[in-house]
Amino acid sequence: MTAHLDSGDQPRPDVPRIGAGEPVPQAAHAGAPTSYDQLDDHELLRMHVAGNPDSFGFLVKRHRDRMWAVAIRTLGEPEEAADALQEAFISAFRRADSFRGDAKVTTWLHRIVVNACLDRIRRRQVRAADPLPEDEDRAAELAGPIEQDPAEVRERRLDVLNALKQINEDQRAALVLVDMEGYSIEEAAAILDCAPGTVKSRCARGRAKLLPLLRHWQTTRESDVPEKSAAEAVGTE
Amino acid sequence: MTESGLPTSEHLEHLDTDTIADLIENLLPAPEAHRAREHVKACPECQQTYDALVELSEDLADEGRADIPMPADVAEHLDAVIVSESVLRASTVGVHSLAQIREEPRRHLPKLLGAAAGVVLIAAIGVGVVFATKDNAPEGAASTEQNTPPADAVTITTNNLGPQIQQWLEHTPSAIMHGSAAEQACARTFASGRPNPNVRLVQPAKIDGKRATIIGLQGGSSRDIQVFAVTGCSDPGGVASPFYDTTVTLRNR
Repeated sequence: MTAHLDSGDQPRPDVPRIGAGEPVPQAAHAGAPTSYDQLDDHELLRMHVAGNPDSFGFLVKRHRDRMWAVAIRTLGEPEEAADALQEAFISAFRRADSFRGDAKVTTWLHRIVVNACLDRIRRRQVRAADPLPEDEDRAAELAGPIEQDPAEVRERRLDVLNALKQINEDQRAALVLVDMEGYSIEEAAAILDCAPGTVKSRCARGRAKLLPLLRHWQTTRESDVPEKSAAEAVGTE
Repeated sequence: MTESGLPTSEHLEHLDTDTIADLIENLLPAPEAHRAREHVKACPECQQTYDALVELSEDLADEGRADIPMPADVAEHLDAVIVSESVLRASTVGVHSLAQIREEPRRHLPKLLGAAAGVVLIAAIGVGVVFATKDNAPEGAASTEQNTPPADAVTITTNNLGPQIQQWLEHTPSAIMHGSAAEQACARTFASGRPNPNVRLVQPAKIDGKRATIIGLQGGSSRDIQVFAVTGCSDPGGVASPFYDTTVTLRNR
């Protein structure tokens, strides 16, 4: 148990590495839980693979708000989003040893979450959609705890979530991936398992549907930004 | 937007939003794209729609960069699921979403009924954790596990401390108090300094090669046991010094 363990970037001597090729016989002696805060994502995941019982929980805590944002935007329903995230995190928990150390842990997690959401959409479509009842209180809660963000941030967040809910699921998934999460058309096509042209078309039609729902955004924006040259935009494409 | 169906000049008839959105994504065939582009340049209203669509993408990107705080109940439930997943890692575990269980009640019901009540509690919000039987668990850890601890020091690693303690306590309804009177007194002294002084387990052990004492305290609910591994209690007059802790959730409480 010597050299082959240390094939990559500066490993901490006491933290087992992922992909070491053999199970590390004893767990990282992770003493005080406070020290987890100082460990980066890779280290937490390595410790998890080595058998540490707590490190994965810390990883979840660190990234859950990001992943919640992805799930709730893609699925639109809090119950669905919670179920999808749970499936995603359990899947990540179990598949952690398949994580390739050269990627970012967040990218890997993100992808698992997106796929869990899309699985739910597909299952729902097969089941001929039994729409869940609208829950206003629950919807308001989605904007997050009142004390956490300024009112206009919460309001805007709710506007987007509500608008996204009103467009069709395929268009929504494409728009969330490309416009909101910043995936390229090709990456989104791979994730959604369709042609790049289909992603483009879903994005275009999704934007066209969202526009009237979110048009009031632009009026607030125009008051902030005095003048935006209208002619410029056409010339850019 | 005209509904007349009469052939009108491109310069008079506005483009619909879909067409402009397609134009932005380069989805229109070349001649149509050319006409549309010319129209947008000449028509302030369509130009405005064009700009608005471009801005919409930018706004969505801005909004997409922001996290959304997970509601507290969802976060709490997720934590509980991860903890039970972690505690049960040593044994073979199958997880099914409630949706699956709902869809396939016949297949899952017997397992569900067989699983402990605590598990069903965990399932209440969104997911059921269905446990396979311990007997066919392939992991090495499971095979060395005992349902009750020996009266003298048990050899164990921090790695399988949680699952092992879970098994002991699930098979023993009362508290497990092993070790010398002095060791138990030391554990009680340690417990009395904690917010949850109810001692459920004292067990002499050799953990990762060193002599230690495992102390289990009643957690926030009857299912949760807070487990500490301490050194010091095996020495006469010693003071407990914890070096590892974890929380175990009992499935049959």
